[in-house]
Amino acid sequence: MNRYLPLSILALAILAFATLMLVIAPGIQINARPAPEGLRPYTEAEARGREVYVSLGCLYCHSQQPRSGDQAPDGERGWGRPSVAEDYAYDQPHQLGTMRTGPDLLNVSARLPSEGWHLTHLYQPRAIFDWSIMPSYPYLFDHKDTAGPGDVVVALPAAHAPADGVIVASQKALDLTAYLVALDRTYPAPTNGLRDHGYGSSEGPEPTPAEEAR
Amino acid sequence: MAHKSDPKRPAEIYEPYEEQAGVPLPVIWIAIALAFWGVLMLYDTGDSVRVSLNDRAEDSEALANVTPDEGASLFEANCATCHQPDGEGLRDAVPPLAGSEVVAAGPGIIARILLRGIDGPLTVADATYDGHMPSFASALSDAEIARLASYVTTRWANGPDGAASSADDVTDLRGEVADLGSFAGGMELARLIPSLPPQPPMPAPSAAPRDDADVLQLVFAGRDEVWSCASCHGDLGQGDETTPRLAGLPAAYITKQLHDFREGTRVNESMHLVASGLTKGEMTALGTYFATLRVPSNAGAVLSGDLARGEELALQGDWSIGVPACFTCHGASGFGVAPGFPGLAAQHAPYTAAQLANWAGGERHNDPLGLMAEISGALSTQDRRAVADYLATRPPVPAVAATMTRMETDDDQ
Ligand code: HEC
Ligand code: HEC
Ligand code: HEC
Ligand code: HEC
Repeated sequence: MNRYLPLSILALAILAFATLMLVIAPGIQINARPAPEGLRPYTEAEARGREVYVSLGCLYCHSQQPRSGDQAPDGERGWGRPSVAEDYAYDQPHQLGTMRTGPDLLNVSARLPSEGWHLTHLYQPRAIFDWSIMPSYPYLFDHKDTAGPGDVVVALPAAHAPADGVIVASQKALDLTAYLVALDRTYPAPTNGLRDHGYGSSEGPEPTPAEEAR
Repeated sequence: MAHKSDPKRPAEIYEPYEEQAGVPLPVIWIAIALAFWGVLMLYDTGDSVRVSLNDRAEDSEALANVTPDEGASLFEANCATCHQPDGEGLRDAVPPLAGSEVVAAGPGIIARILLRGIDGPLTVADATYDGHMPSFASALSDAEIARLASYVTTRWANGPDGAASSADDVTDLRGEVADLGSFAGGMELARLIPSLPPQPPMPAPSAAPRDDADVLQLVFAGRDEVWSCASCHGDLGQGDETTPRLAGLPAAYITKQLHDFREGTRVNESMHLVASGLTKGEMTALGTYFATLRVPSNAGAVLSGDLARGEELALQGDWSIGVPACFTCHGASGFGVAPGFPGLAAQHAPYTAAQLANWAGGERHNDPLGLMAEISGALSTQDRRAVADYLATRPPVPAVAATMTRMETDDDQ
């Protein structure tokens, strides 16, 4: 160890170069893009719902980044067109996620616009899908004898309904649902929208094992 | 450098050091190999990027419809299934274009008809028809409608070379007729075309089940234990993505599906819950309700499928893989044939593709005689996308008059 100065300068230079190319340049590129025409900012309730989404860690099981047809069959799953950077103009920080334990949610409201469905599902996913491994969020709901004025009652099949009284949604649950119902980016993508282009092939995605077996 | 100052006496704390030495050869080889691999990977993804960019270019072209086809091929693809390739129509069902007083009125009128469609009785060339001419407003671009209008007039109206309408004319027309809905039969057309023969009167609108309070309650409010239909399928049964469009499907088909969801012979968890609470009578009433709804298309080609291949499968089929034309069963233009064959036109591409995949994989198996299982199994992933995208671009199923659906469902019981 006898040339500290050049060594540290070189190390810092490499770090600076990487920061420039991987952080600063893409940041400038993305921030220069206007929000797409079809996208509106979140309303107050939706923004609060977004915070609930972040705090409950939905991100750990749900991505928000549908991929293109040559990479995965996301289109057939009803998850929407491949997203572009502009779609996240109002998402700070974005909720891209990497895990897909559950379906992608960037366009969940296009296929599931039902507020009532989301409330039931959040209260108890297994009321709908008996095989679901999504956690239930009962603490977002209140058990009341009778619904008061303005209360939103959760629709529940007999097996999951309380023996007496009703389940009503708390403000948090209503906000979260408002956010979920706002998740619809199926407007046409800007033609020059920024997005990743790697790893696809003209034959489309690899067949799934089930398809292979046929 | 203290230890170097006095070579005879080793330093108290000996610190090993190394003289300047060249980089060992294997390390250089590994570095070169890594660099080579990196370039190779870049080249490899370059190919994927090209595929993807091509896809996007094609998609945006499909959206903008930059190159309208020739009139003849547009007619072949959009009109010939009903009006026949020679424009002679079908006796008692579809009026002729050849010798029609409507066509003689010029391209402006034809463009209006293509944008609005016709519902209700109509007399042309000495015969009366009572069918449904679909609106092509969502299926064809302005330039295509202009071309078709000019093509039809020049080919079948023996009059002057029908001052060809231009895409700009159609753009203006589109704004003008946007909220008018279909032409109410020959009566309304006759107001625009004085030369039409006397037209039959419009029948009084029959009391549709839309006024049935119980059905409206199910559709828009749901029940205590279950959600309303409209909350998922949309206020007008238009659907989106994997939630299907219901407007205009045959009543008996809808009733059968609800029954199948309840019995579990067709699997979908949400629909199972919805259907479990319905009585037989409610299912029938809901079928009639949605069959008579009419709503413009909100579907489009979103799966990057090959539209030309999709058109081939729908109109001709592909015998090399044993697939008959979809329209032989699903009706001209994919409008469906009551009671058993659902309409496919303007259905959402993700839904159609998902159903085809479900049949191929055996998850959906409620089709009579396994007709769809065999067909879907023969289609590749790319074929399924192609035909789903093509069907999504078709004009929507015209609603059957309430009186007619009543008859069908009555027969059915
Ligand atoms: C442990 C992983 C996990 C977590 C955490 C989780 N989910 Fe899920 N989610 C799933 C799974 C698995 C499914 C599919 C089965 C189902 O619908 O219940 C799902 C389905 C969904 C669906 C239905 C999507 C569709 O297309 O059917 C919605 C909406 C949803 N989750 C929202 C949420 C929200 C909001 C949160 C945070 C409050 C959350 N999830 C947290 C695993 C998870
Ligand atoms: C699903 C079948 C169907 C398709 C496809 C169709 N039509 Fe029609 N068309 C009809 C029917 C049925 C009528 C009569 C409507 C009525 O009775 O109210 C009609 C009426 C017409 C009329 C007015 C009557 C006449 O014969 O002059 C014109 C013009 C016309 N269609 C042009 C077209 C053109 C152009 C296309 C292609 C873009 C087309 N149609 C596609 C079924 C169809
Ligand atoms: C939670 C959302 C939701 C609600 C509420 C809902 N549906 Fe559905 N429906 C769906 C989905 C999703 C499908 C597609 C199922 C599949 O993929 O097989 C469907 C399919 C259908 C089908 C089959 C359509 C076809 O083309 O084969 C019919 C019919 C139907 N629904 C009728 C109804 C009626 C009537 C109601 C109200 C009583 C209703 N649905 C309420 C989500 C819903
Ligand atoms: C031999 C007749 C026949 C042919 C040919 C045919 N189908 Fe079908 N198809 C049916 C029947 C019958 C059903 C209704 C099944 C049921 O009752 O559940 C159906 C249903 C469907 C559905 C489900 C519609 C819905 O709303 O859920 C789709 C999608 C479909 N067909 C696509 C196609 C395509 C694409 C082709 C051409 C490649 C095709 N069909 C060719 C008979 C046919």
